Amino acid sequence: MKALRRAIAALLTAGLVAAVLRLRGTGGTPPQTGGWRELSGPDLT
Amino acid sequence: MRVVLVGAGALGARCARQLHAAPSLSSLALVDIDAARAKAVAGSLGDRMSTAGSLDAALGHGGADVVVLSCPGSHEVLARRALDAGASVVSVTDDPDCAAALLALDGDAAASGSSVVVGAGFAPGLSCLLARHAAADLTAVEEVHVAKIGTAGPACARQHHAALAAPTREWRDGAWVERRSGSGRELCWFPDPIGGVDCYRAALADPLLLQAAFPDALRVTARMAATRRDRVTAHLPMLRPPHKEGLIGAVRVEVRGWRDAVSDTRVFGALDRPAVAGGCVAAVAAAWAADGRFRRRGAGGLADLVDDPVPFLSELAGRGVRAAVFEGAGTT
Repeated sequence: MKALRRAIAALLTAGLVAAVLRLRGTGGTPPQTGGWRELSGPDLT
Repeated sequence: MRVVLVGAGALGARCARQLHAAPSLSSLALVDIDAARAKAVAGSLGDRMSTAGSLDAALGHGGADVVVLSCPGSHEVLARRALDAGASVVSVTDDPDCAAALLALDGDAAASGSSVVVGAGFAPGLSCLLARHAAADLTAVEEVHVAKIGTAGPACARQHHAALAAPTREWRDGAWVERRSGSGRELCWFPDPIGGVDCYRAALADPLLLQAAFPDALRVTARMAATRRDRVTAHLPMLRPPHKEGLIGAVRVEVRGWRDAVSDTRVFGALDRPAVAGGCVAAVAAAWAADGRFRRRGAGGLADLVDDPVPFLSELAGRGVRAAVFEGAGTT
């Protein structure tokens, strides 16, 4: 019984750590407006 | 223009091709520890090319106006030999310790009337040019933040690996602050199609070069993209040999400051294979050094030595290396 409790506790702890790592790995909000424009013509004269 | 190119790897070979295309080139001597590789690169380009067993042999044979250093390891000793021979130096180093040693040659280079261009690759190099270009729109620069993703050849990949383990320094409120590499995660948005990538502090040469160019800035930082595996294994030897050449890379430069009395942020970027873009930057820097087009003699990064980056960026665009500006929220 003691071993079972320890196994469940270990699994819960591992799940918690994995969840934290997973959440930390997700990115933020991408830019909502605008974008990249290649420099050309008047930009380079 | 007589050029000696030390290091015929992924970036060096591209640089050799760019140099060979210059009408002003009279001779280009390649030096590489792999003599067969140097001969193969020279043979693929044809006339005006030669190979030599060492920098000293190349300098003794035909002399040089410019020595381009695109080899791994410290460039300080090679740069000193080049200066002693009366040549200017273009180094593509991205190692902060090597960059610091080369910047220390400023007095010697200025005294001999030569230029030592430090970090003339993709990042640093193109990143420094973009920072100077962004700063041209501002009356005062307060912050410069660089982020990069991608590597050139195997030597660059090894430096990338080491940069995540070595302590890093960034400029904050007028002083250098030591930080742990691999910390400071920030989601940086690179030109499409790369998009948003997590970037971390690393031992990069950009802050050192950019702080010298923008001494009044309050913050100068650099980050590079890394995966969790990169960060976990950074303190171990590389688990597998690096690729012969990395995939597409990008650089992003954000400059914050003031335009008149209004705070402003300018964001520039570029997307290319780091070896290709770095080779172009080094080749144009070599031509500018030979022609005396930098704003002063001595040692410095491109943000310091180039007064007006537009002609430089225009030359790069003509060779296919195109920069981009981010126009959107938070920028003008």
